[in-house]
Amino acid sequence: MVNLKDVQYIKLKIKRRNSPQEASYWQDFQIPYRPNMNIVSVLMEIRKNPVTADGQKVNPVVWECNCLEEVCGACTMLINGVPRQACAALTDKLIEKYGDRPIQLEPLTKFPVIRDLMIDRNKMFDNLKRVRAWVQVDGSWTIGRGPRLAEKDQRIAYEISHCMTCGCCLEACPNYNAKSDFVGPNAIAQVRMFNLHAIGRMQADERLEALTDKGGLQDCGNSQNCKQVCPKHINLTAHIAAMNRAANAYVLRSFLDK
Amino acid sequence: MSKLSFFLRRFHSLIALIPLGIFVFVHFMLNSSIFLGNEAYMTMVNFMKHAPFVIVLELVLIAIPLIFHGLYGIYIVYLAKNNALQYKYYRNVAFYLQRITSLIMLAFLVWHVYTLRIAGGGTEDVYGILVSTLQDPVGFILYVVGIVASIYHLTNGIFTFCITWGICVGDRAQKFFATCAILLFVVMSIWAVGILLALAAA
Ligand code: HEM
Repeated sequence: MVNLKDVQYIKLKIKRRNSPQEASYWQDFQIPYRPNMNIVSVLMEIRKNPVTADGQKVNPVVWECNCLEEVCGACTMLINGVPRQACAALTDKLIEKYGDRPIQLEPLTKFPVIRDLMIDRNKMFDNLKRVRAWVQVDGSWTIGRGPRLAEKDQRIAYEISHCMTCGCCLEACPNYNAKSDFVGPNAIAQVRMFNLHAIGRMQADERLEALTDKGGLQDCGNSQNCKQVCPKHINLTAHIAAMNRAANAYVLRSFLDK
Repeated sequence: MSKLSFFLRRFHSLIALIPLGIFVFVHFMLNSSIFLGNEAYMTMVNFMKHAPFVIVLELVLIAIPLIFHGLYGIYIVYLAKNNALQYKYYRNVAFYLQRITSLIMLAFLVWHVYTLRIAGGGTEDVYGILVSTLQDPVGFILYVVGIVASIYHLTNGIFTFCITWGICVGDRAQKFFATCAILLFVVMSIWAVGILLALAAA
């Protein structure tokens, strides 16, 4: 194991790309070691003085970040091949785990790259729209608050509500890719949450209808990577299984009822 | 029809167990008659070959479901972008193995069904072909690989079936079914190799 006292530089290997049309390339950087940094603060350090490890002056690395406390998902990237938030990736922990070799940063691969580590995350929000992941309250009169939720349902909904649409589960899912239009694990879990919601459940069938459409939850192949990589430890595979049960019942019911 | 993909996927899953999975168990039971000796085995093969409506049963319960599950299965294999090397989690490796074993099984079944059922011939001929294949070490190994891969595909499939149909939802339930599936894999593999050894010794 590396002793942090011996570490002189924090080394990085960053996958860069100037524009969506151009090919990507790798660049090495290093900054003098300081304790208690995270990947965002390292990237800020590089921005102050954008010079590669071999002394070449380059354009600063582009990335996105916002909350800096692992609740917005904007700084999600591949860090040593694992999808996670840059703000919550502590350099000391990374060096302890992976040793003194350069920390590798790449943009997520399942989304269009805009520039360097910045990606276009719109597809995730489109998928949430596809499955109607919202509470419908617009209308001519107020709907009121709806009944209280049972404690056990609150617990399930609370867990799912931690989802920040960061894209880690989609990045790791083998069935979410350019060949399929799978909505993805997070959208399936959101349907479970909105279908538990006191007012949201009034549109439960519409969400299940959308969830069993082309690219719906049937495209899950149970690799269960989503659960493994979720930074919020949302039990996505249990939510998917619960929605499988609900969706099968819905499809059978709507066949028999019509 | 927007529900087509949902129906195809669920149908693909259902027929994998009923009737295909059940057939595998029956097939293993019938072949276990080799443990009672050659005579019993020949009687069984003879009975199966001449059972009434056997061709209808073979078509409706085996051939048609198998061809559908196999063809749609190849399409599902094509749809995945496998990443078991990057994410070495147990379930992800199982996901990958489910696809690899399906292709091994496909090759094995084409060979197995062609040599014994289509080209086959009478009871004596089928028996002769089978025993001589198994007495050849290469043939024996190919059979073991083909069958063990198929059993993996079936038993891991029984576990994912339980998720697909919303039978096991929570962590504890999933763990329970996953453990049962592994046990079933071990038991069926030993059983199958036992049958092959008995046939090779015949
Ligand atoms: C020979 C060609 C075959 C191919 C190409 C094939 C392919 C596949 C694939 C790709 C899956 C994963 C489905 C998914 O992720 O949703 C699967 C699942 C499964 N297969 Fe097969 N398969 C074949 C034969 C069989 C046979 C003969 C059986 C039965 C003995 C079988 C039993 C199962 C079961 C039980 C599942 C799980 C279904 C589920 O997850 O809901 N397969 N197959």
